[in-house]
Amino acid sequence: MAKTIVYSTQTCPWCHRAKDFLRKHNIEFEDKDVAGDATARNELVRKSGQMGVPVLDIDGTIIVGFDQQAIEKALNL
Amino acid sequence: MYDLIIIGGGVAAFSAALYAGRFRLKTLVVAENLGGTLILTDDISNYPGFKKTTGMELFDRIKDHAKDYEIEILERRAEKAEKQADCFEVFTKDKTLKTKTIIFATGTKLRRLNVPGEKEFAGRGVHYCALCDGVLYKDKIIGVAGGSDSAAKEALLLAEYGRKVYIIYRREKMRAEPVNAERIEQNKKIEIINNTNITEIKGDTFVNGVILDKSYKGSKELKLDALFVEVGHIPTSDLARSIGVKTNEKSEIVINRDSETNVRGVFACGDVVDSKFKQAITGAAEGVVAAHSAYQYLANQTAACDDDVDREDVAS
Repeated sequence: MAKTIVYSTQTCPWCHRAKDFLRKHNIEFEDKDVAGDATARNELVRKSGQMGVPVLDIDGTIIVGFDQQAIEKALNL
Repeated sequence: MYDLIIIGGGVAAFSAALYAGRFRLKTLVVAENLGGTLILTDDISNYPGFKKTTGMELFDRIKDHAKDYEIEILERRAEKAEKQADCFEVFTKDKTLKTKTIIFATGTKLRRLNVPGEKEFAGRGVHYCALCDGVLYKDKIIGVAGGSDSAAKEALLLAEYGRKVYIIYRREKMRAEPVNAERIEQNKKIEIINNTNITEIKGDTFVNGVILDKSYKGSKELKLDALFVEVGHIPTSDLARSIGVKTNEKSEIVINRDSETNVRGVFACGDVVDSKFKQAITGAAEGVVAAHSAYQYLANQTAACDDDVDREDVAS
């Protein structure tokens, strides 16, 4: 199974949508809250070149924002 | 063949879907993303019956309510639409959908500031959603561009995170709802710089300031760690226009009190239409009216809009 990381904040509506979407498809993921975690925030910036959330890292494929079709493609759904 | 396809996935769309379901119309909601702009709002205190809720919660409640009825939802972007006699075809990337009526509840997309630096620093200090990204700027200096009630609400939310919030607005007086204007006035962290435009966003890796067209406290350069842009919305009406639906000079779909457009069988509601006051409650109401008008139109329609005829032709 692909390794999936979600960079998010607790308040961000599209982060909730993205995580709901993954759960609906039984995709296990690691959730990194960038609000309180400077290491996660640096990782987010390094991987995506920006600070906006959500960002998904699916086996190295970086998806900025809740882009359902890109997520489906990366996970072969 | 659907009785009704609703294009869009916000509160207007699902209010229409709820009633369409009750009217027993064979209904499909087609939307790229469910929720619409409402879910980007943290504080909803003006939807009658809900003293205080969030955009996400209000939307989920309306959607769940609609789903109590037999409606279908397709989470795909409607790429193209065509009018054929009295029927319509709606195309997604991989599907062709036939319908007798359409409701456009396509909402709006964010207007950009269109100044140098905006694209370059997008996500690196330039943001469009305080609820999403505001928390990243704890104890920082934050700017908000815009003077609408939405801009006021963004500033109030950002003041919970930042140590200072500047609202930069090109006109004299903000158009905030009085209740929000008062909250801004009382908030010591928020300062309004009025009659001023932002001409450039500057930074190296991240934003470190903006250039103003007028001096503020002796300088045209204002130091900021982030700028949240809330300068209005552009109606998403291209698809409607492509089948002959009339729009006004603001690109809003023109409707009458029955949520009818100029094209028979086509209705519209929500932020995409030419109503002056755009609220969740007014969009929801327009959606309900649109569903009722579609229902009446279908009840009175005598013209054949039935793909069975086509199928027989193909078979013979």
